[in-house]
Amino acid sequence: MTPELFFQTVINATYAASYMALIAVGFVLIFGVMGVVNFAHGELYMAGAYTVVALYADQGFPFFLAVAAGLVFVGVLGLLMEFALFRPLRDNPLGGLIASIGFLLILQTIAVLGFGVRMENVPPSTQDKIVFLNGVVLTYQRLYVIVAAIGLLTALWLFLRKSKFGWALRACAQDREAAALQGMSINNTARLAMFIGAALAGVAGALTAPLVSPTPFMGHPVVVAAFIIIIVGGLGSLEGAVLVSILYAFVHTFVTTLYDGTLANIVGLLLMLAVLIVKPTGLFGAKERA
Amino acid sequence: MHKPENKSPNIVGFIGFVLLVVVLAVLPHMLSFSQQEILVLLVINVLLVCSYRLLTLTGEWSLAHAVIMGVGAYASALASKELSVPVPLAMLIGASVAGFLAFLLSFPLFRMKGFYFLIASFAAGEVIRLSWKWSDLTFLFGGPKGIKRIPPFPDFLTIDFYEPVNYYYLCVVVVAVSLLILYRVEKSRIGLTFHAIHWQDKLAESVGVNTFRYRMLAFVISAFFAGLAGALYAHYVGAIAPKRFDVEEMVYILIWAIVGGTATFYGPIIGVVALTILNEVVLRSLGVDEMRPMFYGAVLIIAILFMPNGLEGLVPKIKNLFTGPPKDGNRSLTPSQATE
Amino acid sequence: MTSKFTISRRDFLSTTAAATVMAGVSMPKIAFGADDVVKIGFLAPLTGEVAAWGKPGLDGCQIWADWVNADGGVKIGDKAYKVEFVPYDDEYDPSKARTGAVKLIKEVGVKFVMMLGGDPWPGAAPIAEKEQMLFSTLLPSDLSPETTLLVAPCEVHPIYNVTGVEWLAEKKPELKTAVICAQDDSLGKPSVATYLAAFEAAGIEVLGKPIFFDPATTDFAPIMSKMLALKPDIVCLDTCYADYVHPLVEQAFQQGFKGQMISCTADFYQKMVEKTSKEFMEGFVFQFPDFDDPALNAEHVNFRKPNDFYAEFVKRFGAGEWSAVSWEYASIMDLWADAAGRAGTTEPVKVLEAMQVGGTGKQAFGEADWWGKELFGIDNALVGLWPVVKITDGKARIQEFKSIPAWWDKHKDLLIKHMTALDQMYFQRG
Repeated sequence: MTPELFFQTVINATYAASYMALIAVGFVLIFGVMGVVNFAHGELYMAGAYTVVALYADQGFPFFLAVAAGLVFVGVLGLLMEFALFRPLRDNPLGGLIASIGFLLILQTIAVLGFGVRMENVPPSTQDKIVFLNGVVLTYQRLYVIVAAIGLLTALWLFLRKSKFGWALRACAQDREAAALQGMSINNTARLAMFIGAALAGVAGALTAPLVSPTPFMGHPVVVAAFIIIIVGGLGSLEGAVLVSILYAFVHTFVTTLYDGTLANIVGLLLMLAVLIVKPTGLFGAKERA
Repeated sequence: MHKPENKSPNIVGFIGFVLLVVVLAVLPHMLSFSQQEILVLLVINVLLVCSYRLLTLTGEWSLAHAVIMGVGAYASALASKELSVPVPLAMLIGASVAGFLAFLLSFPLFRMKGFYFLIASFAAGEVIRLSWKWSDLTFLFGGPKGIKRIPPFPDFLTIDFYEPVNYYYLCVVVVAVSLLILYRVEKSRIGLTFHAIHWQDKLAESVGVNTFRYRMLAFVISAFFAGLAGALYAHYVGAIAPKRFDVEEMVYILIWAIVGGTATFYGPIIGVVALTILNEVVLRSLGVDEMRPMFYGAVLIIAILFMPNGLEGLVPKIKNLFTGPPKDGNRSLTPSQATE
Repeated sequence: MTSKFTISRRDFLSTTAAATVMAGVSMPKIAFGADDVVKIGFLAPLTGEVAAWGKPGLDGCQIWADWVNADGGVKIGDKAYKVEFVPYDDEYDPSKARTGAVKLIKEVGVKFVMMLGGDPWPGAAPIAEKEQMLFSTLLPSDLSPETTLLVAPCEVHPIYNVTGVEWLAEKKPELKTAVICAQDDSLGKPSVATYLAAFEAAGIEVLGKPIFFDPATTDFAPIMSKMLALKPDIVCLDTCYADYVHPLVEQAFQQGFKGQMISCTADFYQKMVEKTSKEFMEGFVFQFPDFDDPALNAEHVNFRKPNDFYAEFVKRFGAGEWSAVSWEYASIMDLWADAAGRAGTTEPVKVLEAMQVGGTGKQAFGEADWWGKELFGIDNALVGLWPVVKITDGKARIQEFKSIPAWWDKHKDLLIKHMTALDQMYFQRG
């Protein structure tokens, strides 16, 4: 591996870690607060990308306006899921999982009917890039994703640490029953968690739309990766999700570059199995939730 | 617990049994050609979903079942094609390989329970499935294209099992025997222990039940019959590929089981039959191909929201419609409830 | 003039639906069909991820049917038949393909079935055999000596890729090295073998091993980094879905590649120009022309009114929707209609005989040979001229039609060698 290839791979991995972290943190937040594995999380990511397709690529609105719209729209989708699916099924975690599968199929079909089965094209909002001395490249479009991930996740972290809502959210993620006993509104915290969790996935989809080719089925590989990340990181742990996103992205990117992509997927899954066997609560998870 | 209780239910049961046999025998002749094809696959899926239910008795939900079906399919296809093992024997080998794999997987997987087991089974399944796809193993598993030209079930006397109706009868017999075994297991001491592990695993352990061994047993039996279903599929369709056993297929198994309900033996069967008719016959004939996944999704959500017990929950209600509310509590109980 | 026999599409659909329902409730042993309509099965993925290779082809067929029917239909024997396409979604699954084939053949009564091919074909193959039905595929890797009723009469993927490499070596002899990446599936593998053979024949060295990537790949930056680290003159994208060609090209642009690019397809290349730049895309070589290309009006091209077809397609579905499959199924129909006309019947086996009479046929781009014995074990692929397309000033234009058989005669040992090495010969495939 030449030094150039090494540094380029580090940059590639940093980008991958950034968008995976946005998705995985939302995923783990929803799981933590709602107790539901949101199988439709990849489709929320897809919905974010299609918001940019519709507003920016088709209608010509400014890129960042479309990204903001994606954030809000997908956040609202999250609220809809909370209200229509997860609230009635609150004491039925498997039921929530199944309902999210149903929702996933509906979102995919809406995308197919509205935009067709083909991939969509989103032109880049800028072609500027940073070129390092040895020819290693970081494009602005990818930099946006990295900056957004750092910014949004820091904001989320501060919000969870400093605000009353954030405190309630963390309490619920740690122990729902105890939180309810403390007089917290489960409904409000659930709504908040769903909005934030979904919106993070939406933003990831919106920002990466010019970098991938959005299709109605783009969410599937992403949700599998998110699965691996939250298991390795620990189910209730937001910090774990971030750290493992970085770990996973680096391992996956380097294995892909050095060997091949299928092997990288197998390595990721084996890593997850190993963690499950050795420490089922994940590297950063504290308590067991069976 | 299986002593004959009294005469009359047995006669009713016998008549019911005869009726069922007649219906199953006549059914393919009342269908169109393409519906006969769908029927064969449906019978195979009945075995698949019923084998899945056995594991759920212990309270564990696996996401590896579709892959385990694939293990049976691959093993049986390879045994018959590469080693020239006769197909019926190859099918048993396929099922056994699937069962043996479940035995091996038990050691890591049953260190976990509930949600962790669910996720770990998914990971284990995906590792197996990706190894079928992996280019370095193409010489064995055929890569993403899988295995083609799998030997068909051999003719018996003059019966050509390529004909869907004949293969259907073969499947009905195989599946009926399998279901009988699954049913007997569930009603035996072992089955009762599964239930006990589900609801009271700490208690079961405290009275000396080795819960690990019972979980493993359920997983192995369940995998054996899933593998058998895979083998039946492989030698009928003649081609298998890794994509056929991916998480999407697993989702279908879950949907069938949950929409049907898993409290009773017949629940998953109702689920798979009803949803297959909806998907393959009703929705296709409406000519709305692009919208089929949406209908499926909507049905799923409606079922889970408004019929938490699945379609099986409707059975007693329908019975009551015809017979009126039960006067004698025992009579309206389903067979599985009666022995609990 | 044909008012008496005109059946509107809506009427047709409703009668078909009625017949389907009736078939469900009654004994279905009668094939339904009016005398003056010939039905063609369209058995391809219409939902799911592979639908992009089925659905647009069905759209193209609809234009073909509307034109032919407006002309009074296909003349077969002493009758004119209206053509009606009956689609069945095989979901890219062999068991659904089997069910669909049974339905189309035994219940709908189609006379010819077009498939995308690939994974679903093995499910339908025994039905084709049993019912003596003629099938077509876009993927000749489905061909084998056992399946005599399957033809690949339009696209002989990936053999025509040799023409692009040959053309490039002639025009730019200074290019000496290449790297290849490919999607790891039944589309990518034989194509890699073909490019390896073509590069070897042209005296171009392939650096490193071909890089196979999983179709579930979400970020192509690592793959492009890996390729560019080898410092090649040519980046070859093999045969990839457009979903992968676009991000790969974009990555090549972003990571500062300045050399030559070659690919089998470049669907929606205008979007790639948008994502990169005209200068970057200048000279990009691939194999699928836009049908507004004036070169398609050449004498030898058999596809009827290609420019009008393109205009109509753009009018109905939009300019951005044109892709490689838009015209392919329709061109297969040209061949079928011609053969059925000469056979004087719609009987599948007779049509196939008429199609293959003399060992030649009218492939879309010119007179071609029925070929394939050494590669597929059967001469059921129609091979002749194929266009080499280059992007010039943001627009794809045909540079030259090159002969595949001419290349084959010179270099067939190379192709067989590389196909064998990747387990792609018919006797090695499953």
